[in-house]
Amino acid sequence: MTPGHVHPGAVAGLGPAEVAVAVAALFAATVYMVGSRRLRRRGDLWPRWRDASFSVGGAGVVWAATGPLPGGPYTAHMVQHLIVGMAAPLLLVLARPLTLALRTLAPGPARRGLLALSRSRPVRWLVFPPSAALLDIGGLWLLYRTPLFATIRHEPWPHALVHAHVLAAGLLFSFAVCQLDPVRRRWGVGVRGVTLLAVGAAHGVLAKTLYAVPPPGTAFSPADLRTGAQVMYYGGDLVEAALAAVVSASWYQATGRTQQRLRRRPDASLRRRGAMAAASRAE
Amino acid sequence: MNTSAHSLTAAPGARPERRRSLAVCGLIGVAVMAALDEIVFHQILGWHHFYDRSTPGVGLMSDGLLHTAELLGLVAGFFLYADLRRRRALAPAHAWAGFFLGLGLFQLFDGVVDHKLLRLHQIRYGVDVTPYDWAWNIAALILLLIGAALAVRASRHTEAGSAS
Repeated sequence: MTPGHVHPGAVAGLGPAEVAVAVAALFAATVYMVGSRRLRRRGDLWPRWRDASFSVGGAGVVWAATGPLPGGPYTAHMVQHLIVGMAAPLLLVLARPLTLALRTLAPGPARRGLLALSRSRPVRWLVFPPSAALLDIGGLWLLYRTPLFATIRHEPWPHALVHAHVLAAGLLFSFAVCQLDPVRRRWGVGVRGVTLLAVGAAHGVLAKTLYAVPPPGTAFSPADLRTGAQVMYYGGDLVEAALAAVVSASWYQATGRTQQRLRRRPDASLRRRGAMAAASRAE
Repeated sequence: MNTSAHSLTAAPGARPERRRSLAVCGLIGVAVMAALDEIVFHQILGWHHFYDRSTPGVGLMSDGLLHTAELLGLVAGFFLYADLRRRRALAPAHAWAGFFLGLGLFQLFDGVVDHKLLRLHQIRYGVDVTPYDWAWNIAALILLLIGAALAVRASRHTEAGSAS
């Protein structure tokens, strides 16, 4: 049995998977800090809050893997999932790690490789918002609505693997919906908004069914089950609202830039206004 | 960002977008009423619950979709509103009309479709629900009437303004 599952409050010795996660997260945060420092030294503008966002995201992953979590076993598991699968990925994605990597890496095979990877066809399909959403929320439905959850609960490595998938899928989904880093194909606010709506609904419905019916093969106390489901539901709401704010804010900024451009080119602006006036007359 | 110091109404080149003001504030109204319903009746009063066991699967799904749409509507509506303000294209009278229409529409939808047609949940349990239903739907109608009156007034005002 891994401590990640018993959550006795006090740490009763960490399993190898937990240690690996913590080391990897700390390593990623260190690399990010070194990169952003290098960028600032050379005079690039790289806001400090991005460093903070990445550090807090990394710390969240470490805490979820190793720290004492609140509530009974099921509630603690849900808190862990919320951090690993939703909150931490959003914070990490907001820090624009790919942009940072592309800017700090010197021209050479490493940078070329990363660029080629970010523009490759498979990545293009992965960061298509609906497919990223399917990997994310589909995995969650599989986990809680098949015997998978009961099977892996007491197996350290499969359990770690599932959490790795939750983290990766969460990162992919946040990356695809927020679309802050450069990729080959960029999707409009409509596609991303509808995806967010579908995922939010699927997440909320799953949380509500978990309130009534536990994952097959498990026996948690009803109070624990209900608290866990509510944590999933309302925690999901918070992250969902944050994601919507990111998408809306990027739309707001982009339309602001377009308006300024139109203002600078009065002929184009006049033509557009003329068209709009004609359209409103036709209504 | 718009850095000019013109006031919202007196700016040259500002043209109020009446329909858009109405639609955007209508969206905000729907989302606000849905959120109010969720916060006041589900959470503070606890009249209906996080999950009603009688709820069928379809109801559960529509409930989840509605809840998420409310959340996204609130966020998106706020940004659309900010965009109208930024472009000095907000028509306040139409905006208020839209807001009240949105409030009333959601309230009526919830009262008729959710409570009565889909029977997702009722307003209250263990009591005669009829007076609650009447209060709920009459409140919705009052909100709708206020919205309609404001809309009529706003459009009359506009016509008078463009005629003079």
